[in-house]
Amino acid sequence: MNVTCSDRERIFEDGTPVEWVALEAHAASCPLCGEEVRAWKALSVAAEELRDYSDSPSLWPRIERALAEEAKRKAQRGQRWNWVSRLTRFSPGWQTALAGAFAVVLAISGGWIYIHRPVAPVDNDKSLLRSSALKEVESAETAYERAIDKLAAQARPQLENPATQLLANYHEKLLVLDSAIADLRAQAGLNPSNAQLRYQLLAVYREKQRTLEEVLEARQR
Amino acid sequence: MGTMGLALPWRARISSTPRERGTRVEPSEHFAAGASPAAMEAQSEDAALAAGCRSGDLRAFERLYARHGARMKNLARNVLGNPVDAEDAVQETFLKVQRSIASFRGQSSFVTWTYRILINTCYDARRSRLRKREVANEDSAETPRPEPRAPGAHPSLRMALERALAKLTRHQRDVFLLYEVEGFRHAEIAGMLEMTKTASKNTLFQAKKNLRQMLEPPRSSDAETR
Repeated sequence: MNVTCSDRERIFEDGTPVEWVALEAHAASCPLCGEEVRAWKALSVAAEELRDYSDSPSLWPRIERALAEEAKRKAQRGQRWNWVSRLTRFSPGWQTALAGAFAVVLAISGGWIYIHRPVAPVDNDKSLLRSSALKEVESAETAYERAIDKLAAQARPQLENPATQLLANYHEKLLVLDSAIADLRAQAGLNPSNAQLRYQLLAVYREKQRTLEEVLEARQR
Repeated sequence: MGTMGLALPWRARISSTPRERGTRVEPSEHFAAGASPAAMEAQSEDAALAAGCRSGDLRAFERLYARHGARMKNLARNVLGNPVDAEDAVQETFLKVQRSIASFRGQSSFVTWTYRILINTCYDARRSRLRKREVANEDSAETPRPEPRAPGAHPSLRMALERALAKLTRHQRDVFLLYEVEGFRHAEIAGMLEMTKTASKNTLFQAKKNLRQMLEPPRSSDAETR
């Protein structure tokens, strides 16, 4: 095989052993190529100066210690995530099936919790009346009021012209009770669900009923 | 060509004793051949090392160190410039191998993968050292400061070479160190530096050309002979 000076760099870069032999043969008779080949080889020889494989007795024990500590830490971390890593060992098919089963369990649990959710706390506050109860109270109240008005109509002649001091006192008491009834009705109008007001109103009506009954009894005597 | 103050006469610096691997040529890259028994053995040893390290066996790491520790430390020292940083880099490399062995898929050899980690670790350490120097407002020259090591046959040559290497590009320096100093093949270097085999050969050629220019004394006869 014949090589020329122009082949030198190509052989330096990627020459085959045969090409190198041919280049060295050429270099023996070419001073320039001889110098170049020598210098090229000299770089490889010089590189040996950078090779120092002297032993470092403390290095491996140091590395070993660091590796052992790292392994210990890794094991501690691994324990925390062990169940996850177990899952990843299953085939994708099994992982999908497990995920599906988990979703079904989750859905059933969610449904059960929804169905058996705690009922809203019962309103034990008797002072508040619901709309249906309120209607009943109001209608009963109206009927009661009408009945008392009939009673008042029967007692009115005696009260307008009281023959005795007692009747005059009854008359004054009834005026006070009517005033109280008016006040309570006004308040109940603002807060119709307040049962306490309704009880007070009922008590005043009862008192008015008793007073009217006493007035009528007094007339009979 | 200027010599940038590094030149010493070649003949004074380099041993005239012929050296067998003065110009290393890789026959396996030029001749198609089946895997040799030695290559098969190396491959199975590599697989055994990887399996041992993956299982967390400290003896596998010890075997890796016994086989490659000195070479790893030498490479790290040549990149970092001092043995202390080199030892730290080797230790860090072993830890990184241990941490990320699960991600090793065997696309390259285990040893190649380990050296890739080592090289990256060395450059991380270099960058970190440079940042520290900048913070400390010190000289931020990238040139590593070589520290004393076992005396060679040509200490002045070694120093000149170290300075010249520091002026090469990172890839040129890496390929030169891996090929010429550590004796890796281009196929292995390609795996370590994530480049093609051809690129590795070309980079080595450029590196040697540049080193020659930096180390070679001016030749008076240059113009005449050319």
